[in-house]
Amino acid sequence: MFRTLAARLSAPVSVGASLVLLATGCGSGGGAGDSDGGAWAPEKPIEMVAPAATGGGWDTLARTSSRVLEKNDLVDQPIQVVNKPGGGGAVGWAYVAGAAEPTRLFVTSPPITLVPLTSESGHSHEDFTPISRLMTEYMVYVVPADSPLKSMGDLVDKLKEDPSSLSVAGGSAPGSMDHVAFAGAMNAAGIDPKGLKYVPYDGGGEALTQTVGGHVDASVIGASEAAGLVESGDLRALAVSAPERTDTLPEVPTLREEGVDYTYDLWRGVMGPGDMTDAQVAYYEKAYKRMLEQKQWKSEAKKLGWETSYMDSDEFGSFLDKSSEDAEKLLGEIGLQKGQG
Amino acid sequence: METLDQIGYGFAVALAPENLLFVFIGVLAGTVIGMLPGLGPMSAIALMIPIAFGMDPTTAIIMLAGVYYGAVFGGSTSSILLNAPGISGTVATSFDGYPMARQGKAGKALAIAAIASFAGGTVGVVLLMLIAPWLAKFAVSFGPADYFSLMILGLTAVVSLGGKNLTKGLIAAVVGVVISLVGIDSQTATMRFTFGVPELFEGVQFLIVALGVFALAEVFAMLARRGSGGGDGAITSLRLNRREVRTLSAPTARGSLLGFFVGVLPGAGATIASFMAYSTEKRLARDGATFGRGNIKGVAAPESANNAAAVGSFVPLLTLGVPGSGTTAILLGALLVLGVQPGPLMLSERPDVFWGVVASMYVGNLVLLVLNLPLIPLFAKVLKTPRAVLLPLVVVFCMVGVYGLSFTTFDLWLLLGFGVLGYVMRQNGFPAAPLILGLILGGLMEKSMRQALQISDGAWSTFLTSPFSVALLALAVLAPVGPLLARLRRGPAAPSDASGPEAGDGAPDGGPGGRPDAGRPESSGNSGGPAGGGEHTTAEGR
Repeated sequence: MFRTLAARLSAPVSVGASLVLLATGCGSGGGAGDSDGGAWAPEKPIEMVAPAATGGGWDTLARTSSRVLEKNDLVDQPIQVVNKPGGGGAVGWAYVAGAAEPTRLFVTSPPITLVPLTSESGHSHEDFTPISRLMTEYMVYVVPADSPLKSMGDLVDKLKEDPSSLSVAGGSAPGSMDHVAFAGAMNAAGIDPKGLKYVPYDGGGEALTQTVGGHVDASVIGASEAAGLVESGDLRALAVSAPERTDTLPEVPTLREEGVDYTYDLWRGVMGPGDMTDAQVAYYEKAYKRMLEQKQWKSEAKKLGWETSYMDSDEFGSFLDKSSEDAEKLLGEIGLQKGQG
Repeated sequence: METLDQIGYGFAVALAPENLLFVFIGVLAGTVIGMLPGLGPMSAIALMIPIAFGMDPTTAIIMLAGVYYGAVFGGSTSSILLNAPGISGTVATSFDGYPMARQGKAGKALAIAAIASFAGGTVGVVLLMLIAPWLAKFAVSFGPADYFSLMILGLTAVVSLGGKNLTKGLIAAVVGVVISLVGIDSQTATMRFTFGVPELFEGVQFLIVALGVFALAEVFAMLARRGSGGGDGAITSLRLNRREVRTLSAPTARGSLLGFFVGVLPGAGATIASFMAYSTEKRLARDGATFGRGNIKGVAAPESANNAAAVGSFVPLLTLGVPGSGTTAILLGALLVLGVQPGPLMLSERPDVFWGVVASMYVGNLVLLVLNLPLIPLFAKVLKTPRAVLLPLVVVFCMVGVYGLSFTTFDLWLLLGFGVLGYVMRQNGFPAAPLILGLILGGLMEKSMRQALQISDGAWSTFLTSPFSVALLALAVLAPVGPLLARLRRGPAAPSDASGPEAGDGAPDGGPGGRPDAGRPESSGNSGGPAGGGEHTTAEGR
């Protein structure tokens, strides 16, 4: 009881968490090693690594999911959220891969398939065990309210004439999610992705204010981030990257409706270290599957604009392979892949 | 009229006993956390979020806003007392605050910080109430070219922060800019100067450098002096006399306004605001030469600016739903989880939250003042701690703060490295302040320059087509002229146009005044010692 409480209180404080970690980490020897067959349960507190600083998307997922899992007694051990920022995730991945503890998991999203392609991260999704994909968000393509571009068709036509005629902002570095969502869609519309003018900002917020101010012609942003400014009329949304219309922006057509055969998922999920046994994977899979059914989860996810899109370990694994291949191809065409000019 | 009703309603919300209690708790917790070097508003808010989750959304955000102000003020406390800025926004405060503390005027410095913070916060809140919708337009009106020019203007402060030797100041600034280049290049995702070390991929954390070159270097310097020198730590009266109040009112007002508008710009924030306020005052002041040696104006200006900027950073959050700083990004996350979507519709959809927050900012500022003034003698007692205990404690706090950022021992080595660098720099007369300035502004400057050029297809004229950019560049050209001319008039050998925070280590009150025309009486009362001309006794005992 005390330990649970202590862990919960100190989890959000980086310092506190690490102290608790020290205190508990030395004790039990971990629950790894059981061969397949029998059920497995963690014997020490679970570490949920957010490979980023507090406050971002990974951190929010780590904290929200851990809270729901603990509150509804879906796991047998307390969960501590540990922030390992750095390297676009690479520092956190190295931390998980290095220890190979079955109680050390991490939250993940498209960068696990993108960062290894463009930087010297040292780890890719193949070094880890997929546990579950949990939910997804979609991207929205927006222009300032007074833009002459009224529809996705206008944007595509303009870029077909000259791919570099519009500057399009995103909240992440070249070769990461926002860029891929933009270049991928244009590629599908038959535009050379290499000629596009993508202007990266630090985070969706900056890209949004620059778009509202008319400093760039358009931007590609997470749908929930942009929803407020779209509703207020400061921005016009041309399309969402979802296969069907979204709950977040129900009036905005999909890319497919607008004649661009492309979808982009800003999915989020959980992975563990490389060598997990089937029993270990099954334990977490079950916990996360049940978590998604909790009322508490549903209400929190709704507030955050997350749409459930569950995949179990196997499906998630093949999904990751496919995303990685697609991204490699696209980044190759843009000329951003590691080792290219 | 309706707005007035709503403001009244906001105050009714903020003054509800429960909310008042939580703003009090928030401010207290924020102050205590913020005092620890390395733990700034972001950690303070992150720590309080789990507590806030159980609350009514309005109460929760009121408490978190209180934590924010408290932490900003707490950071000033460690800047002044230990030369260990807890957050970047209070680095400029240490330039004069720490010398004041060394002269035994810690109490007065803290009181000025508290009062200037209150003034800055209050000015900010009033402006926020009156012109928030217009401010949203201002916040989005700055394009990359304008940001670039703003950073250039900020960098001209090197001339005034540069200390005795302008060349050494510029060298330090360039080193700062070079450090800011380390990491993944944001425009092309290329690795620069990382040597394959993943810990360096996202650059060198500002806090590591600041704690290294200020706090740790100070510890090294004290060790090298073997305990000699330094203030006696006596706590003089907190009270300001009438002349001091008069002296401070204009810098505080200017700092508040400047801070607020810089704070409104997403990405600029409290640090840049406080540096700009500091260097502006140094330029305007007749006794500018005593800045860096415990001039009270050098405490008031950055303190009013950083608090006003903290309020200003709420403008993009509340009116656009866009966080303008790391701290407001965490607040945004907390709000979303609490079911409040900040943004342009917040004012019409959740006026209770909007005006409750605005009113609570005001109440929070007042609580900050009421809570902290009586506690100042207690805080200042830190200086009475025997050196044998205090120095290891400062080292421990720095290490905890840095380790808490990233959990890697790599950063601790970096901290040590920057501590050594800071020590070597001060031994050889290189001021640390320009290095910090270059580090803060360098990254933003480069990023906005390249964004602007990318949008303009490489046409440099883009910096001359936006009116903001032109105005800022013009200021940047004009601003250093005065100090440079003064320098030339004194001749190349002339000394001490203030020498940054490391000036006057243990110097008796009032080192040499520098400029002959600086000998105005107003400088004597507050900076201690007459501002005599000439350059005799700078206690070069270090």
